[in-house]
Amino acid sequence: MTDIILETRKLTRAFGGLVAVDNVDLEIETGKITAIIGPNGAGKTTLFNLVAGVYRVTSGELNFQGKSIDKMSPVKRTGIGIARTFQHVHLFSNMTALENVMTGQHSRSSYGFLESAFLLPKKFREEERIRLNAMKYLNMVGLGQHVQESALNLPLGQQKLLAIARALATEPKLLLLDEPGAGLNRLEKRDLSDLIRRIREMEITVILVEHDMPLVMGLAEKVIVLDTGKKIAEGTAAQVQKDKKVIAAYLGDEEENL
Amino acid sequence: MARRILKRWRLLLIPVVIAFMALVPFDWFLGQYKYLGTVIGISTIVTVGLCLFMGYTGQVSLGQAAFYGIGMSFSAVLSSVHGLNPWLAMLIAACVTGLVALLLGIILRLKGNYLAMATLAVGFIVWKIAVIDDMGYTGGPDGIRGIPYLSIGSLEFDSQFKRYYLVWGFCLAILLISQNIVNSRIGRALRAVHGSEEAAESLGINVFRFKLKIFVVSAVYASIAGSLFAHHQLHVSPGYFEPIDSVYLVIMAVIGGLASIWGAIFGAATVEILRNEILIHYDKWNMVILGLILMVILILMPEGLFVALKKGYQQEGVFFIPKRIWRLAQNYYSRIKGFRKRKMAQSLAGEPEQ
Repeated sequence: MTDIILETRKLTRAFGGLVAVDNVDLEIETGKITAIIGPNGAGKTTLFNLVAGVYRVTSGELNFQGKSIDKMSPVKRTGIGIARTFQHVHLFSNMTALENVMTGQHSRSSYGFLESAFLLPKKFREEERIRLNAMKYLNMVGLGQHVQESALNLPLGQQKLLAIARALATEPKLLLLDEPGAGLNRLEKRDLSDLIRRIREMEITVILVEHDMPLVMGLAEKVIVLDTGKKIAEGTAAQVQKDKKVIAAYLGDEEENL
Repeated sequence: MARRILKRWRLLLIPVVIAFMALVPFDWFLGQYKYLGTVIGISTIVTVGLCLFMGYTGQVSLGQAAFYGIGMSFSAVLSSVHGLNPWLAMLIAACVTGLVALLLGIILRLKGNYLAMATLAVGFIVWKIAVIDDMGYTGGPDGIRGIPYLSIGSLEFDSQFKRYYLVWGFCLAILLISQNIVNSRIGRALRAVHGSEEAAESLGINVFRFKLKIFVVSAVYASIAGSLFAHHQLHVSPGYFEPIDSVYLVIMAVIGGLASIWGAIFGAATVEILRNEILIHYDKWNMVILGLILMVILILMPEGLFVALKKGYQQEGVFFIPKRIWRLAQNYYSRIKGFRKRKMAQSLAGEPEQ
């Protein structure tokens, strides 16, 4: 019996008449790397947004570590340990790399306006810890030399790593990576899968949405396939690849062509 | 070598500026400008609030004069009509302004142009309420007279000379506080809201709450400035916080650099000197000229005049302005002469360059 960190039951999200996520049942095991794949418009990013709290659930259940979170604000979800990255990086271009990661520590520190304005001791204590932690995560993703670089001046590959470092700085239990490999070259992708494995070793559960099949096959212990909002297959990478429904979803219905 | 000397100069710059500002009100120095200096200090306080709200958090306020006006009017009414201690009046005014900003905070759900329009409306509403004055409080367009001076113990700020230091004391305190806020977890959260609201939310930053808090802070700054003005001028009227004054404040913030705390002094000084010393002789052209300056700054140096000067100095040294003008002149000269055309023709024809 394995631990389930995230569980959905008949999770549904509709935008007007369009049902983007349709009665999806998921069980994500703690400490594993799970990949969600599917053709364009399958509802993968919507599913992420539901888990992260950007969208509200239309119907169904959404449980994190056994507790319902579907009424929780995104801010609180960060607090209980859900972090995410974005398909379009969304770095803070007005900050340095270090400051970006330090911002990630926001929910793990508590000093406020008064402590900042009047330089109370609590500020210095926490700021020291924030800086050390941020450096730790920057080093972990291999950006230790680019501390003072403006986030915007980094190449895309490093921007993606920086975004992961920033998400890690929220000290999550569950990390959602939205197409981390998109736009990276082969070397960068190899570094990325190394990094994701190391994140797993930190006992952080990883869910990734990804189009790059070799990357997914090399990493994921479990693959979930979505198509037009529905879950059509689930299993190890090898199982999923042989699944008739999956092949049909990606290549069009083969029987029709025969 | 030269660079090292320049660096030392830069270290000297700060005490020189402080000494200069401390000596302004003395008659043997720039005594005749101590009124102007005081006004610059007051405007700087409002501008800093605007920089926090606009430059760091990335919002827009075209109604900041409203909060300035609320602080000014409450201070004036409470201390003159009700005879309250001016400091207490100032505190109450700041609290009331903060509360008003908190209640108006709902408009912060709006973004960009819509927020600009909503804040503009706030400016008009507050000004109009003060002008119409149904309840006979603010004295209508004539305003209120008989406001007492501020005083600490037996020290009464009854001369221009003393008030200059009072205002700049407040101003420096507020600049330092703002500087501290910017260089902290809070400052990072504010900049994160500016950078990407989605990402900020995903990191556990409550975007709306931070917008609201900084809006209240900027309103309280404006209120303090308004109170200082009331006890400085001893006469207040809605004419001092017309909606157009909000635009002046935005111009100050832009000239100083929206994302620059210390630039606020520079921005406030530039606009106040232009308004009070130079443009006063060309009354009709006042706003036209300021508008043109604003346009030029937004096109050529969107990060603000102060920041642009600082960067230019860092890149090319003290004489960067003549250097750049010289380059610009050379560029134009060569264009007029058709120099480039000939050069291109030569290279196309394969002739060796001179």
